[in-house]
Amino acid sequence: MNKTEYDYIIEIENVSKTFTGGVEAVRDFSAKIRRQQVVVIMGPSGSGKSTLLRCLNGLETPDNGAIVVDGIPLDDDKHHRLEIRKEVGMVFQSFNLFPHLTVLENVNLAQMRVRKKDKAAATQRSTELLQMVGIADKVNAYPAQLSGGQQQRVAIARALAMAPKVMLFDEPTSALDPEMINEVLDVMKVLARSGMTMVVVTHEMGFAREVSDWVIFMDGGQIVETGTPECIFTNPQEERTQRFLSQIL
Amino acid sequence: MFTRKPKFRPIDAVLILLCLAAGVYVAYRVKYGLEYRSDWGAIPQFLFHRDPATGRWVPNYLLQGLVTTLKLSFWATLPALGMGLVVALFRTSRNLFLRMVGRTYVELIRNLPPLVLIFIFYFFVIDQLMPLLGIEAFIRSRSIGAQTVLAILFAEKSLFVQFVSGVLTLAFFEGAYMAEIIRAGIESIERGQREAAYSLGLSWADEMRFVVLPQVVKRVLPALANEFINTIKYSAIASIVSIQELTFMGRQVVVATRYIFETWITVAALYMVLTLSLSLATGGLERTLRTSD
Repeated sequence: MNKTEYDYIIEIENVSKTFTGGVEAVRDFSAKIRRQQVVVIMGPSGSGKSTLLRCLNGLETPDNGAIVVDGIPLDDDKHHRLEIRKEVGMVFQSFNLFPHLTVLENVNLAQMRVRKKDKAAATQRSTELLQMVGIADKVNAYPAQLSGGQQQRVAIARALAMAPKVMLFDEPTSALDPEMINEVLDVMKVLARSGMTMVVVTHEMGFAREVSDWVIFMDGGQIVETGTPECIFTNPQEERTQRFLSQIL
Repeated sequence: MFTRKPKFRPIDAVLILLCLAAGVYVAYRVKYGLEYRSDWGAIPQFLFHRDPATGRWVPNYLLQGLVTTLKLSFWATLPALGMGLVVALFRTSRNLFLRMVGRTYVELIRNLPPLVLIFIFYFFVIDQLMPLLGIEAFIRSRSIGAQTVLAILFAEKSLFVQFVSGVLTLAFFEGAYMAEIIRAGIESIERGQREAAYSLGLSWADEMRFVVLPQVVKRVLPALANEFINTIKYSAIASIVSIQELTFMGRQVVVATRYIFETWITVAALYMVLTLSLSLATGGLERTLRTSD
């Protein structure tokens, strides 16, 4: 099968991850994610959502199982890992902008060093992306001069600058003040509607209802229930899901 | 209303008076108890003296020693920094072998007295490494002009090999301390920074060069500057292998004249001039770094 026609962009098969100390974060997890799908992973804290997400770009190495991203197996092969790192963008809970670089330099860096673009081309792309996330007037500011919401939008632009095929979001709004959550979610909604494949770990029900195609509810490192947002939110089958939803609603 | 405590309290005055009294007592004991006849007038001639041939004032032993100390410390600091960076990268590497090499080097240096180390290492360098590198032949084959320049920057022809050996010994020794400072700096960078660099697809070298090290430099500069001061102080042990730096020259003057106190106090003052001006500069640097945060 031709790689570009490959139906599933991420395949996760029987993945397990136990941390040293015996905490079993992910247990025998399998899922397949289609191109242009927006998948939301929910679950109580400690349910293994973040660990699973971090396995998808190699930040964590699973003990068992296989992960294939865009036809490339995520294994010990350095070239495979590099390819996957280039094609998978990641947005972190704590933004992780580079504090010694300006907003523009943050977004330019990987374009110039990894994609080997010259500065003018990188700056042009960065400016477009920063415009899209609404930070166009702060390109020369340092991260510390921005609010949390602004920093997270820059972080999204930085990840998008690599033109990734998949974007991973690890609780992107959990570290934000309430009044800043929406400015980040709005950017993510625009991105979702533009056809980006997204895997989002979040507790934001509104976002999940509005743009997600598929919701995975996890607990104890395993899938408890999956389905469309309507199914999960209006008619959850599992008692564990019902209990969780009643707590966060 | 909130009132600030006075900054200078009576107890402070008492303490200052006590310190002064102690100083006066020591000076008194030195003057009358030691039966030591001091002659400070004899010291300036060891700083400057009039060249009998030309009649011009030229630096004498102690100032020559000060200049050698300065050159020795300066040239030792550069390779020490490079070595420190490389070993710090080794010690934070994922490669077990590199970590072991780095750890062995650092522990070897840190757990031996500098004096013992300099005896072993200096004689190895001067006896084995210098002929191997052809330093002696190098300096002898330079033109007169080049030799003069090298004499100003390093040491004159007859002392060149000795000087370079001393520089390398000091650098080898200081490198371990610099490595530990830089390693601590690298490890202090938040994990998220490196995860972000990884996720963007940056290579290890780019991650270090563009993300980690620029932040490390800012954090460890004050500690490194402090280590530069230590290098100046440690350079005194090079006197033991007859490098004619300040401490060595001080001892020569003492042996020749028996002006023990005057000479050593002058030597101490000269070291203070170097180290204190460097720490004042460091303080300024720290303030500059803080304001850019």
